[in-house]
Formats: sequence, structure tokens, C-alpha cells
Amino acid sequence: MTDVVAMSGLSKVFNPGRANQVDALLEIDLKVSAGTFVSLIGPSGCGKSTLLRVIADLTPPTGGTLSVNGKPAAQARADQDYGMAFQAAGLFDWRKVVRNVELPLELRRMGKAERRTRALAMLELVKLPDFAEHYPWELSGGMQQRVAIARALAADPPLLLMDEPFGALDEMTREHMQAELTRICAATQKTVVFVTHSIPEAVYLSDRVVVMSPRPGRIVKVVDVDLGARTDDMREQPQFFKKVTEVREALRGIGAGAPRGVDDR
Amino acid sequence: MKAGGVKRIALGLSGFVAMAATWELYKAIDGKLGPWHFPAHADDASMPHLLTIGRRFLQPEVRDRPGTVLQAVISGSWYTFRVAVVGLALGAMIGLLLAVVMERFRLLERAWLPYIVLSQTVPLIALAPLISGWGGGLRIGSLHWRPWMSVAAMAAYLSFFPVAVGALRGLQSPQAHHEDLMRSYAASWGQTLWKLRLPAAVPYLIPALQLAAASSIVGAIVSEISIGAKGGVGRLILDYFQRASGDPAQVYTAFIGAALLGLVTVGLIKALEKLLMRNRAAPGLHP
Ligand SMILES: Nc1ncnc2c1ncn2[C@@H]1O[C@H](COP(=O)(O)OP(=O)(O)OP(=O)(O)O)[C@@H](O)[C@H]1O
Ligand SMILES: [Mg+2]
Repeated sequence: MTDVVAMSGLSKVFNPGRANQVDALLEIDLKVSAGTFVSLIGPSGCGKSTLLRVIADLTPPTGGTLSVNGKPAAQARADQDYGMAFQAAGLFDWRKVVRNVELPLELRRMGKAERRTRALAMLELVKLPDFAEHYPWELSGGMQQRVAIARALAADPPLLLMDEPFGALDEMTREHMQAELTRICAATQKTVVFVTHSIPEAVYLSDRVVVMSPRPGRIVKVVDVDLGARTDDMREQPQFFKKVTEVREALRGIGAGAPRGVDDR
Repeated sequence: MKAGGVKRIALGLSGFVAMAATWELYKAIDGKLGPWHFPAHADDASMPHLLTIGRRFLQPEVRDRPGTVLQAVISGSWYTFRVAVVGLALGAMIGLLLAVVMERFRLLERAWLPYIVLSQTVPLIALAPLISGWGGGLRIGSLHWRPWMSVAAMAAYLSFFPVAVGALRGLQSPQAHHEDLMRSYAASWGQTLWKLRLPAAVPYLIPALQLAAASSIVGAIVSEISIGAKGGVGRLILDYFQRASGDPAQVYTAFIGAALLGLVTVGLIKALEKLLMRNRAAPGLHP
């Protein structure tokens, strides 16, 4: 299998040589092969968002090598090889839902009719076809987040980068969104790098859970999760709890006060 | 909607009635409260009765000549309005352009903004004749510099400022994750400006334009007065003032014209706001 994301010895130092220097990432080796779902979990400030932003070429690494979709990260960004979703849905208030989903297509200069068809199909996929002509502020938080996912999928990128996309949602909505995301990923065969604070969320969604330690941020453990098809029942299965415990213990192992910023939900 | 409209009109009228009542009350009780007068004169030469002012509108502007004061004030206000709008459009364009450049080059923001603020502390009264002096000899091809152009230039000079400051804040208003999103799409600077920064700036632009509109009217009238440019309501104020001792009510007709001019202009910006903000969330609905 090909690696959609491949990095080795990747480091990121903020403000090098200055009093406020931060070693955000140190010597990270990570490979994400096509079609897999990888979660990054770790205490607050361990560099999860930074890692995601480095992959997205929103911030340059200070060391190591990185390839995204088989090319340099900058080229992958230029080619819109990934779609991104953040904790804040980040929809544009002045655009109708469907026009929000069309945004990445517009920027690629896709024709009007074509991108409308494509955006409507994406809204169908996230089960919001009836809200195409609404404005984002007329939607609930969970619905907005689904629009954001539709937008990330619109240009059909092979890779999805998600930074705590469900972080601001209530527990019920969150579990529902997790099920939806699993369904969407299965349907679209995406490769996903997903940042979360929630251990059960990471276990439920992922093929692999990457546990990180803070300052300097590095990978302490990779937990392989092979639980088969995700169902709601699965959340109550012993195998599920076994994996949750494994991740939790890896997080504990990081050291004193490590579980800070990680919830057991 | 309909009931709300009636209510709004009634409220607006109540303000007018209150002002009129205060005016007449002030006149009525002056000298009646004791053997003294209010410090500001309330006699008919200084504060004519509203009815007198109203009647004056319908009388000929110059005795035994056709054309009422009303016609003169309306045509003067209309003239000034058009000149001010030219100035406002020019000023808004310059302000927006400055804001776009300052947003693009942060260094320039630091370098330019102090001068932009400084520009507004130059006394208008002194600047208007200066501009008309500079412009006086100017000709571009067959186009001669006209006094109204000096007036429009002054209106632009006053109105570019709030637009530059407001637009800059608006262009800088998108949140970091919005900018990241555009970068993740490898959007060009122009695309980000057009699809993110400018729409995000609209709520900041509207109040800025409102200020600019009011400033453009003030700038136009003051420079009409100070350079004596013909045709506008500023010139009427000047002319009527010279005849004020014999015809006090006439001065006020020009004042009312100027005030209504300001109201109409700001009202037009309000209409623009309705149009541009129709798709936005009601304030407070969004975090
Ligand atoms: N632009 C920046 N300049 C300087 N330091 C930064 C910058 N961005 C992040 N950092 C530092 O890098 C470290 C990692 O930050 P990052 O945002 O990646 O953490 P995180 O794991 O995503 O945390 P959280 O779970 O709270 O979102 C932190 O110590 C942070 O202070
Ligand atoms: Mg983060």
C-alpha cells in the first residue's frame, strides 16, 4: 500500500534560539497508508495541531522529511490533495450552505453547474440535502460541522485532516457524528488524520491511535485497533474497552499529570 | 412589518415635534420668568417663529423675482448632494484602496496610519481655499478645474478617513481558522480578498460609510462656504447670512435644507446596509 502521509525525523521548533522557544515536535516518524484512519491523541499542548498544520503545509517544519500524497507538502496543498476541518466549523456566514460547500471548487475554477451538482451530492452524503439554501447561522452546531465535512470532501481529496472537529459538540451529537464519519469514510475510501482529546472517540474511529507526549512532542505509542465494522453496540463490547484501556495506559505512562487535557469520555 | 413602520415614523415625527415645541417654548417663556432674558437671544431676529420660517419657504427668494426659497433650497441641496456623492464615492474608493494595501503590507499599516490620522486634523476651513487655489490653474486636456471639483475633493478628503480605518479593521477581521482554510485551498491573495476579507469587512464598512457620508456633506457645505462656490446650499447659507438682519427666517431655511441633506444621505447608507446585510445573522445570534 502507498503512504498518503510519510514523515521521518520531523521536528518543529517555534521561535528557535529565543527565550520563548518551544520544541513542539521532535523526531516524529509516522506513516499513514491509503485508506486508513489515524487518530492523534495526547495532552493539551503536545503538538497535535502543530503536526496537522505541518502536514497541511500551513506551517513549515524545522527538520526532517515529509511527503503528502507522494509529493512535497507544498505541492500537495497547491493541488488540494487534502480537505481540512477544524473545531470551529468555520463556515462563511454570508454564503448559503451549498455555496459554502462549493467554495473549494470555486477556487479550483470548476464550472458553475458542475460544482453545484457536486456540492449537492456532498450535502446528500452528510444527510443535509434540505438545508442547501439555508444560511449557516440557521443550523445547529452539529449540522454546521457536517457542512464543514461536506466542504472538506467537496474537491474529493484523498486525505482528510481534522482537528477536533467534534470537540464543541454534546455527547449525543458527538457519537452520532462519529458514526456518520465512519460511514462517510467507508463510502469514500478516504485517508484520515484526526486529532481528538477523547479516548473512546479515537478508538471508535481509528485503525491506529497515535499517542503523543508533550514538550517536546513525540510519539510514545501506536495502538492498532482492529475491531471490524463500527456499530453502536461496539461501544459496549469488551474488546472496545480493552483498547480504550490500552490507550489510557499509554497516556498515563507519559508521566505525572499527563492525562490532563484528555477526557475519558 | 407594517405596524413597525408606522411606529418608526411616529417616533421620528415625535422627535421633530419635541424639537419644534422646545424652540417655541424657549421663545415663549423668554423674558416672562422675570426681568431678565435667556443668554441666547430669543427675539424674532435671532429665532424666528417656526411658522415664519415655514412661510418663508413659500415666498419668493428675491422680492419681485420668480422662484421661491423652497425651490432655491431644494435645487441648492440637490446640487450639493451630487457633489458630495461624487466626493464620497471617490473618498470611499481611496479609503478602501488604502485599507487593502495596508492589510496586504503590515509594515505600511504602521507607516501610513499615523499620517492618515494626521490628515484629519488639518483645519478644513484653511484647506478648502488651498485646494481651490491649487486646482485653479489645473487643466487635464480640455477639462478645466471647476470650483465644484474643489468641493468634491474636500468631501473626499473628509470621507476617505473613516472608510480607510473601518475597512482595515474589517479586512483584518476574519478569524485565523478562516484564513487557514483559504490557505489550505492554496487560494491566491486576490481570491482570499474577494471571497473572504471583503465580505467579512462589510459589517465594518457600513458604519464607516455612514460616518463618511455625514462627513462628505459637512465637507462639501463648509468648503462651498469657504471658497464661495456657486450653486450649492453652502452658497445659499452664505448669501442668506448677508441678508440676515433684514430676513432672519431665510437663513434658517438654508439650515433646514442642509440638515435634511445630511439625513437623506445617511438614510441612503441605511438602505444600503439593509441590502448588503440581508443575508447576515442577526447580531448576537452568532458567537
Ligand atoms: N504559532 C506558535 N508560536 C509559538 N508556539 C506555538 C505556536 N503554535 C503552537 N505553539 C506551541 O506549540 C506547542 C504545541 O501546540 P499545539 O497547538 O500543537 O498543541 P495541541 O496538542 O494541539 O494542544 P490542544 O490539545 O490544546 O489543542 C504548544 O506548547 C504551543 O504553545
Ligand atoms: Mg490543538
